[in-house]
Amino acid sequence: MFWRFVLAAVRFRRRRLLLAFSGLAVAATLATALFSVYSDIDRKMRREFRGFGANLVIAPAGSSHTVPLRAVAEAERLGGVAAPFLYTIGRIGDERVVEAGIDFRRAAPLTTYWQVNGARVAAAGECLAGSALAAHFHVSIGQSLPLASGSCVIRGIVSTGGDEDNRIMVPFDRAATDAGLADAASVVEVRADGQRVEETRTALAGALPETDVRILHAIAETEANIVLKVKAAVFSLAIVIFAITTLCVTGNFSALVIERSKEIGVLKAIGAAEGKIAALFLSESLVLALASTIAGYAAGLAVAYGIGRRIFSDAGSVEAIGVDFAVFAPVMAVTLVVALIATLFAASRIWRIEPAIILRGE
Amino acid sequence: MFLRFVGQSIRRAPRRKAMAIGAVALGSAVATAMLGAMLDVGDRVNRELRNLGANLLVTPKSASLPVDIGGIRYQPAAKDEFIPVEDVPKIKAIFWHLNITAVSPSLHAQTKINGRDVPVEGVWFRRNLQAPDGTHSTAGVRALNSTWHVEGQWIDDRQTDPHDARCIIGASLARRLDLHPGSTLDLLGEPFSVAGILPTGGDEEDRIFVRLEVLERLTGRTGQVDAIDVGALTKPEDAFARKDTSKMPPEEYDRWYCTPYITSIAHQIQEVLPMAVARPIRRVADNEGQVLSRVRGLMLLIALAALVTAALTVWSVMATTVLERRYEIAIMEATGAAGGVIVALLSAEVAMQGALGGLLGALAGAQLSGAVSQTVFGVHGEVPAVLVPLVVLVATAVALAGAAQPLRRALALEPAVILREGA
Repeated sequence: MFWRFVLAAVRFRRRRLLLAFSGLAVAATLATALFSVYSDIDRKMRREFRGFGANLVIAPAGSSHTVPLRAVAEAERLGGVAAPFLYTIGRIGDERVVEAGIDFRRAAPLTTYWQVNGARVAAAGECLAGSALAAHFHVSIGQSLPLASGSCVIRGIVSTGGDEDNRIMVPFDRAATDAGLADAASVVEVRADGQRVEETRTALAGALPETDVRILHAIAETEANIVLKVKAAVFSLAIVIFAITTLCVTGNFSALVIERSKEIGVLKAIGAAEGKIAALFLSESLVLALASTIAGYAAGLAVAYGIGRRIFSDAGSVEAIGVDFAVFAPVMAVTLVVALIATLFAASRIWRIEPAIILRGE
Repeated sequence: MFLRFVGQSIRRAPRRKAMAIGAVALGSAVATAMLGAMLDVGDRVNRELRNLGANLLVTPKSASLPVDIGGIRYQPAAKDEFIPVEDVPKIKAIFWHLNITAVSPSLHAQTKINGRDVPVEGVWFRRNLQAPDGTHSTAGVRALNSTWHVEGQWIDDRQTDPHDARCIIGASLARRLDLHPGSTLDLLGEPFSVAGILPTGGDEEDRIFVRLEVLERLTGRTGQVDAIDVGALTKPEDAFARKDTSKMPPEEYDRWYCTPYITSIAHQIQEVLPMAVARPIRRVADNEGQVLSRVRGLMLLIALAALVTAALTVWSVMATTVLERRYEIAIMEATGAAGGVIVALLSAEVAMQGALGGLLGALAGAQLSGAVSQTVFGVHGEVPAVLVPLVVLVATAVALAGAAQPLRRALALEPAVILREGA
């Protein structure tokens, strides 16, 4: 009997219910999209900060001028990206130049900000030239640079606005030979997971007591700050959006009750308890909420996917786009709560309806 | 007559009208708040990113190639290559001077401590800089790097004092030399006391900082600086920014010049400092743009989603109000009112509700947006004034659009049908 009532209501008031349904569905869509984006924003934003390169450096300590190469393996073991750099002074003609030995394969993820004309990697017998250095010696890609320790063919011109512009970049082993060093680097740069920088630093310092392991505070702190603030902004905007949707749905449900004042009047006149009538409306809106959760969930995933694709897509793999299927439960909860609040507000009118007045036709 | 009609309609059912206006106001409030927050978050994140330090480096034009590793020069610089210190304020005179957040000039030297070369930098710590147009701003390493903190004390250099004997030591160097705040050491032949230890993680940790005028005196290079670090708020580089400026037609060049790209700001600095080269520090400048455009895009999409919801709310409320008045419309039709008059009457009402609701909403939304940036960024954000009339217009238009369809339906139906249905 009860359910026949509810189903009949759905059938006869299709239009009205469609409006209420769409209101709830929009709420569910937004909830899904916002939850998906929110749950993943940490990872996505931190990914953006990878471009800044290292957030930890392992530098020589005490009287030493170098860092042992096992620092690289140690940092990699802790889950970081690490690369050794070795700086030495070379000669071109009678001029001195800085020769930077770089493990190009390892350094690639740490040097994505380099603007390179030509190749980013130099093999044995090859090198990359800083833009200022190339201009100073009037050399370009493909030409040979007459380093005193053995000339090299320029494969690329590097421009960073930093010290690299004045240097010549050669493979790490070549610089080690030129400097007469073995198993040593001037510095090891490490990119650790943004959330575990401090932990990684402590672990590295423990494993490499002869070195000075430092956090690049400006980068680590700015990253933490921005991730936190963007999260907070998305969160507070989500609250605002939910507040407005709740109000919108409340309006729709109130209209449902107002429209049916006459029926409610009749029900009350023949002796139905208010609670029972309210239960009718409540079950009606719960059915609606369930249906809109499913519709909104599907739509919301599409929106979240769109946001991920549009904004974070060139970060790389499909995994970067990130659609989070686990948000169904919270979405369901939000939609139900919205529907519940809206119905309770609307249903409070049932108690105020005077059968006599309504039935007289006012 | 017409106005009396509208006036009557509002007086007779004030509650229903208030509800409709309230709904429009809510929608508009959310729209305003979202747009305001969207614009604001971008700006705030841009400021936040400035904590990364300089994104432009200004150095003297040089005939020789600098040969230095970690601040140690392996080949002395030519004597006549420097930037005059009195030219530093000129950077605040470029077209985009308001986007220059901080400048920090420095003079470089090195000294031997325990047989090892140590770089010494003469800097402004935090100083008041008067621009050529008379405006004031703070300059120096602390203004540029707001995340820097020292153990001990900073050197207060608001008043110049070329005989000050205090220095700030990089943390790594301090560990190496076992120095603490209050320790003393010899720098370039004079005794100095350590005021503070600076941990940054970067190259600065291996350096010693003293006042610019102190190092000028010790090196005999009065009025000279070797580099100026500049922090600038920029627009992320897009395809247009990467075009070759020498091949741009004049109007494109003007557009490039008048956009705060890092390259155009660098170009403008070179115009006021002809003896210098300004280069973007790619590590900071490029990534900053990247992060910023991501955050902006994210906020834009969330704002769009919210705008659509708000528009739907207004639309449905207006549709409901017209739907509720179908009997009235039918009676008017039955008593001989022309369709045009009815449309004009109801549209006037709907437009009025839309405009009033939009105005209330825009004002409330501005407060809301301010509250959001207050809680998130701790700064009170301002919603641009132009947003208010814009929101009012859009709210009115959406309200009318929402009312249009049910109105057309009501007019298309025979009045008799509607009236019978209501009986």
